[in-house]
Amino acid sequence: MTATAPVGRGLRTTREDGVVAVSTARDAVRDDLGEVFRRDYRRVVAVAGRVLGSRDECEDVAQEVFLAFGRSAVPADEASGWLTVAAVHTALNHIRSGRRRASREESAAVSDAAVRPTISPDVADVVVTAEERSRVRAALGALPHKQAAALVLRHSGLSYAEVATALSMSPGSVGTTVRRAESALRKELTRHASSD
Amino acid sequence: MRHPTDGVLRRLVDEPVGVADADREHVAACPVCLTSLASARADAAAVGAALRSDSLADPVTDIDVDAAWARLTAAQSRSTAVRAPARRRRWGAALRRPAVAALGFAVVVTGAGVAAANDWLPIFATEEIEPIAISTDLDLSAVPDLTDYGTLEVTGAEEPAPVADEAAAEELTGLDAPEVATLPDGVSGQPQYMAIGEVAATFTFSAERAEQAAAEAGEELPPVPPGLDGAQVRLTAGPGLAAVWAGDSGVPALVVARAVAPAAFASGADFEQLRDYLLSLPGLPEEVAAQLRSFSPDASTLPLPVPAEYATSTPTEVDGEDATLLASRDGFLAAVVWVEDGVVTAVAGSLSEGEVLSIASGLR
Repeated sequence: MTATAPVGRGLRTTREDGVVAVSTARDAVRDDLGEVFRRDYRRVVAVAGRVLGSRDECEDVAQEVFLAFGRSAVPADEASGWLTVAAVHTALNHIRSGRRRASREESAAVSDAAVRPTISPDVADVVVTAEERSRVRAALGALPHKQAAALVLRHSGLSYAEVATALSMSPGSVGTTVRRAESALRKELTRHASSD
Repeated sequence: MRHPTDGVLRRLVDEPVGVADADREHVAACPVCLTSLASARADAAAVGAALRSDSLADPVTDIDVDAAWARLTAAQSRSTAVRAPARRRRWGAALRRPAVAALGFAVVVTGAGVAAANDWLPIFATEEIEPIAISTDLDLSAVPDLTDYGTLEVTGAEEPAPVADEAAAEELTGLDAPEVATLPDGVSGQPQYMAIGEVAATFTFSAERAEQAAAEAGEELPPVPPGLDGAQVRLTAGPGLAAVWAGDSGVPALVVARAVAPAAFASGADFEQLRDYLLSLPGLPEEVAAQLRSFSPDASTLPLPVPAEYATSTPTEVDGEDATLLASRDGFLAAVVWVEDGVVTAVAGSLSEGEVLSIASGLR
């Protein structure tokens, strides 16, 4: 590695033989990090919120994602999609790896909210309690990673084509994968509803 | 017509423009499909509502972004002194590619023993690995398929097979399985051992076929140097073994692989002449050709293609040997590969770069 020249917003290193390699130097933080952070931080927290229930935990995920982003050389125009995908994977792994903090605030919030059903603004006839939410999240953690990721990415607004690219799936299989995940989660909701 | 699949019906729920007209028309007129569509819609709505957090509107408006930024910058300054906290995340299939490149490479490796028995002239023995950054922008589909230019015979290219234990892997391959001193956080249990025998590929150049292929592609074949017709190149790879610690999402948490490093042999022609000729064939992006040509001036450096969009590579050292550190660009997967005495070793997994390096230097 001989010369370092910023190319676009990513850090690229050009060697004498013309081979272009992307820098992984730990002390090199991309210069648009602040700008992207201010623009996308809230959104990334919300994406994590589809997977995790606690606000603190979602912020932890967003912090991890932006730390990784700061060291990456993701092109600026791909940043939003990259952040969404990274937030989903990271949040899913939080559930799986058992690192999930059973925070008192969360359980308090759940039991509090469980007694006052919320009406979702978009789907007026679907009433979901906080308890159901937390059950769905637990079930999400039990799904195969790809199924869970496809589901959450689609529900975070990525198009079918974008989900396919992010998960290296054929575009045709995204619908099937999302459908399968929804069917499994819906069963989980129904199973508890009928046993209540 | 047949009923569209569940996946097509699911897409009709929220991205109907992505569904073919014929499918849409069928569904509109088919009571069975309409019922399935209604249930897909109901499931999607129920799950969508359940995923929507009541304490986290989208976007979250009451978050203190300034405080969050202060936290991030503090974490960044810490992580320059101390490595970022150990991560154990999986990126799914999209980022399996760099890992697969490294693992596939590590598994597809070779022994020089076979060639010695023939009249093959050794022309290449891996002593070093050099990553080359390839861009997926390049039209790689335009890279000529070598089978258009001759015959390619591959032997022993089975998938690596699971074996009972370390001793079995060592017996099958004749290699010492590396011992991991300390497993990183989050990786536990016994690994599955895999083994693969020698893989060999023999390419026989045919001027006639090359001419045909060029004509079909509407290209003019560069003049074939004398003596090249019928020339052969043999690449050997394996045997190799690997210890694989399973992860919970399909991507192994940790893989430690070792194999005899690749070697190449030529018969009937000057290898460099044949290689340069193949590289000059129409369709091969000049960038790729130039990079490939620049490696192996001493016929000992194996180019390791690294897709620049997905992974980065950095030179490093493992126990004083030159090594290549690969990382997926989000930092979720990392691998380190090095060659010592004609044997290539790789440590890879859904680990941080620091973790793979620490495992690598602790191998016994």
